[in-house]
Amino acid sequence: MQIDRKGYPWFFLDPGKPWKNTLIVTMLLVVLALGSFILYQRMSPDPTPDSIGGYTYAILATLCMILASILYTRRRRSRKRQVGELNTSLHWHVTLGILALVFAFLHSFGNFNPRTGTYALYGMISLVLSGVIGRILDRMVPRMIANAASKALTEYGDDRIEYISDSVQQLVTHNSQGLQTIAKTKTPVKQQKRQVNPVTLGNPVSTGGSSLPESWDIAYISLSETPQEANRDAQQYRFVPDRKSPLNTPGALLPGVNDHITELKIVQQAMQREQFYRAIVRYWRFVHVALVIITIGLVLWHLEFAFSLLIPVFLHH
Amino acid sequence: MYRMLKPNPVILHKTEPQVQQEIHACIGCNECLLACPALAEPITIDVLNRETIAGTISEPVARFTRACYQCGACVSPCPAGLHRDAMMMWLKVRLLAQNKNGW
Repeated sequence: MQIDRKGYPWFFLDPGKPWKNTLIVTMLLVVLALGSFILYQRMSPDPTPDSIGGYTYAILATLCMILASILYTRRRRSRKRQVGELNTSLHWHVTLGILALVFAFLHSFGNFNPRTGTYALYGMISLVLSGVIGRILDRMVPRMIANAASKALTEYGDDRIEYISDSVQQLVTHNSQGLQTIAKTKTPVKQQKRQVNPVTLGNPVSTGGSSLPESWDIAYISLSETPQEANRDAQQYRFVPDRKSPLNTPGALLPGVNDHITELKIVQQAMQREQFYRAIVRYWRFVHVALVIITIGLVLWHLEFAFSLLIPVFLHH
Repeated sequence: MYRMLKPNPVILHKTEPQVQQEIHACIGCNECLLACPALAEPITIDVLNRETIAGTISEPVARFTRACYQCGACVSPCPAGLHRDAMMMWLKVRLLAQNKNGW
């Protein structure tokens, strides 16, 4: 098998067999329909929507519309199918949709009066257009999703947020280790200070081994640090630099953290974009389905209108 | 209809270890490929799995990857409950990386 060198460009065309077949058939049928329309207009004395030719186009448009919706849905729900059959069916769905629109246009014979038929035609146009836009979105949006996903992953395919969190954690650990080292170097000095005269500091009223009970003077407060008191090495008591000092720049006291936060924001934005693009694809499909329902309704309304005109004529004959 | 409207906040891309895990769990029943409306030519599941994990990407698999539009039709028929769409997304990311690497 040949190795792919194309990658994933924005605009690509990979014409498969079903795509070629349906394209040829669509073009042939559109040319045939247009040819028949020109011929009918020249030869017939009554080129109107309610002539024989008009009815033929109307029947063909309705048939194409029904087949476009039923064939693909049936194939999709069927359990007996082979690999690639659904793709072929999807191409026929597109072909039939385009043909339905062409036949509906020809059925109008240029009459776009604001009647039921025109509304049904508008419905059909919006339906086919939504399908065409949907196909374009189906090609463009997944690439945008992949682009967003690649930003949320490292070059080795790991989660970038996890990677950044680990880096920040390492920084924090490194800094806190530094603080602990400072604290350790300070501790002996404190202990030395405390050990100057433990008896005096611990109990100032002690006189040569005989000491009074500790509680005799409750006004006495020890100057040494109690566990309840805040640790001076804690984050909030750390050195606060002067405004003009270069240490006052954001992240100067925790080097590298700001870069990580910026990177984290980029990843978060990429993930939000990914969700947004997925929503576009999903809701466009919903728009297409909604337009199918609206168009069916408009066509039924038009058929009801057409039959209300036709039935009395047939009954009269 | 309601299922289409229901908000789904899950981010679908998966990391490489997760994709590898899913591919190792694949039983090769072919159900995902049968349900795919984007697949135009016959590709076997083992070739797709092999090229998804690592190595070079052949032309038919690349064509399929580009054609995949993440509809998710492959997810529900999978008897092992795997996410073929996420695996395809990983392949797409790999194809994009090929572009960036100047292939």
